[in-house]
Amino acid sequence: MSLSFYAFFGLVGILLLLFVWAVRKSARPGKTLPEARVLEECGRGHVGHLPQIRQALAEADSLYISEKASAFAVRRVRQERRRVALAYLSAVREDFQSLLRMAKVIARLSPEVVALHEFERVRLTLAFAWHYQIVRLQLLAGLMPVPGLDGLSDLVSGLSVRMETAMNELGERAALAAEMASSLDRRGPHVA
Amino acid sequence: MAGIVTLEKAFWALSVLLKAGLFALLLYRKNHRVYPYLFTYVLITLMQSAVLFATYRVWGFESPTARNVAWGVQGLVIAARALAVAEICRRVLARYRGIWALAWRMLLLTAVLVLVYAWAVSRPNWQLAILSTDRGLELAIAVAIVILLLFAKYYEIALGTTVCYLAVGLFLFSVFSVLNNTILETWLHSYATLWNLLGTLAFVASLLLWIWAVREKQPETLLEPELMPQGAYHALVPEINDRLKGLNEQLSQFWGVEANRP
Repeated sequence: MSLSFYAFFGLVGILLLLFVWAVRKSARPGKTLPEARVLEECGRGHVGHLPQIRQALAEADSLYISEKASAFAVRRVRQERRRVALAYLSAVREDFQSLLRMAKVIARLSPEVVALHEFERVRLTLAFAWHYQIVRLQLLAGLMPVPGLDGLSDLVSGLSVRMETAMNELGERAALAAEMASSLDRRGPHVA
Repeated sequence: MAGIVTLEKAFWALSVLLKAGLFALLLYRKNHRVYPYLFTYVLITLMQSAVLFATYRVWGFESPTARNVAWGVQGLVIAARALAVAEICRRVLARYRGIWALAWRMLLLTAVLVLVYAWAVSRPNWQLAILSTDRGLELAIAVAIVILLLFAKYYEIALGTTVCYLAVGLFLFSVFSVLNNTILETWLHSYATLWNLLGTLAFVASLLLWIWAVREKQPETLLEPELMPQGAYHALVPEINDRLKGLNEQLSQFWGVEANRP
């Protein structure tokens, strides 16, 4: 059998996998929101909850507990901190997906799109998915040392301010865009 | 072998019946106005059956004339199928002007690249040139359908049941043809009879899917979304991309994942 034999079978295998993945319906119901709702909800990130997360991961708390509490309690706190880190990671992903959805809606409703921006977003999505899974697996497996998470509060506080400002700006613009798109909702679903 | 030939004839007759049924259904439900290229494709395949039947009767199944006529008509059929696929892509994406402008260029470019690839990896044999071209075109059609579906999934565009069934039928038939032609290229003579039978079987399956797809009347025009002003895209999307990049960098830097890894 020649190289072309395997090349075509391999290519068809990849095509079949992509095809099944593309036609498969989402397990999560109501994933496809109407345009206006996507734009309206975009500004509501998880930034509002970041102060609580910062508190939960504060270095001072951790030191205090390790001095005062038993070994069992310290272990328990570490587990909780890991849980919080996972929850935060999930929240960052939600923020990412919210922004992504907004960009897709804008692209869908635009008379002209720039290929470079669109491909850049696909690249960023793939990169984020990769990073997210790596970090999540490390956290779940306990490979990521808990002390390493202490700096999270710095990141969170830094991100908190920048993201809040950015999301507010985007939220204002999104509200304007939502007004434009809301007429679409009133015209009914866009099912082919 | 004789059993296979009889079975093949039976399936061939069934496929002609189904093609006639699909043709009638498209006309009866007035879906020929909605899918004119699909309608033309079905009409051409019907004519192909009539031409092949007459050719085999006059010159015999194994004659060089019959072979030339068969492959010549096949070229027309596959071109009509490619147009039917383009029509489906247009029906799904053309309402979204910006995305469509990007998608049709990408579809065309990918189809050409796939065709070139298929030619490049084929066995360098001029006797198999027609077979290689046929396979390349089928592969290009399959890739185009996958790209359409990926676009629809990425931009969360609803396909609709009819388009979905039509796409599944076209994709499965094209993919099967690629595999069938690849096996034929390797075991040319020993596989020829089975190749015909399996090809007819795959086509019957696709016809059943298409009949199911167009069993009801389809709306001729679809609701077009109200587009945003051009400035909105240029004002918002680069900024959103920057935010996405920022989130990505924060995630990778904080947890020490290499930022440049895919």
